[in-house]
Amino acid sequence: MNNALEQYGLLLGLAVGTVGLVLSLYATARALGKTRREPGKDVPATSGRLARDPVWVRYHARYYGYALLFLAFDMEMAYMYPWAVVYRKEGLVALLDMGVFLAILFLGLLYGWSQGALRRQ
Amino acid sequence: MRIAVVLGFLLLGAYLIAVLEAWLATGRLRLAAPGWAAMALLGRESVVPRQPDRLFFETAPVLLLIAALLAAAVLPLAPGLFITNLATGALFVNAALAYVLVALLMAGWGPDGAYALIGGWRFLGQLIAYSMLIVMPITAVAMRAESLLTTDIVASQAGLWNILYQPLGFVLFFLAAMGVAFLPPFDLPSAEGELAGGVTGEYTGVRLAVFRLGRLVLVITLSAATVVFYLGGWLGPVLPPWAWSAVKILAVSAAMLSIGHYLPRIREAHLLAWCWKLGIPLALLNIFIVGILVLVWP
Repeated sequence: MNNALEQYGLLLGLAVGTVGLVLSLYATARALGKTRREPGKDVPATSGRLARDPVWVRYHARYYGYALLFLAFDMEMAYMYPWAVVYRKEGLVALLDMGVFLAILFLGLLYGWSQGALRRQ
Repeated sequence: MRIAVVLGFLLLGAYLIAVLEAWLATGRLRLAAPGWAAMALLGRESVVPRQPDRLFFETAPVLLLIAALLAAAVLPLAPGLFITNLATGALFVNAALAYVLVALLMAGWGPDGAYALIGGWRFLGQLIAYSMLIVMPITAVAMRAESLLTTDIVASQAGLWNILYQPLGFVLFFLAAMGVAFLPPFDLPSAEGELAGGVTGEYTGVRLAVFRLGRLVLVITLSAATVVFYLGGWLGPVLPPWAWSAVKILAVSAAMLSIGHYLPRIREAHLLAWCWKLGIPLALLNIFIVGILVLVWP
């Protein structure tokens, strides 16, 4: 328990250390020179013209059919990992248990496919 | 000490990958190229676009680097040569790699630019395509090792490497790993010439340097994951374990980089269709085959 906490502490330290490294890089760049303010410099790339509308209204997520199926599969994977660890110990029973579960999920995928979920909407 | 060695390994790897990338792009082998490029980026102005979502814009490059480093932290380079050896290592790799998506979405949303935003949303679609092909092959690897400890996973391949035991899983994982690192032909979010750089397009100067470093470390991390899960990690004759790890990791990342050099960029709709109509059924088949193999011939 203590050991696991120690390991997560180490990972947190790694993350904090990375932030420190990046901040020191920013400080170095700042020491080398500042960004000069000039008109038109801070316009995002839009092929030379300013965007008329807010940019975030434009994108149509055409993959939402996949996204819904993805939710089901992603949930299922949470069960797969503990199952995978005890798999050999449990033997054939484990294969059949998960086989039924995966078969139902796979049928769901086939059904979604037949109903046109796997299509650019 | 151990941690410093691993981090040094990662940095050296990132440097070599940068040399290789420049070599493939320009056709000239220049060992100093990454150094000059980094110094140039440090000296250059780092422009913040108007009306940014400042929090997202600043977080994205750092988060990409942190995600890549955290995933690398649980991958062993030799017996005893790792940052941590989490009991849930294989799962933790997935968890850390999920933040690559968060970082790129932030980089897309943050600058309030049309091309960047399209790149960010595209990468969300790319995650939906590649994610299952990362998770499912790793499950099959864990089934054979009976453990999520990455060191146990390497040890389980002493008899036969997983690339031969479950070749299908290797192919799927390798391609999906290229998708995670948005390497060509899966460079949908950054698509040069199509999205003007996409998620990286609005980053300049030192922020771009951090972004590029994060991407390079990510490539090394994913190669290390491929090596640990499929190529027997540090196992090999004659050479010391760390040398085997280094050789394999560099070979895998060189393969990842050079494959993309000869292929056209895939369209997002096609990527999704291939992954879901062919990739996921194959990944499930892989789990089933490995399930039978593990019981019959461990």
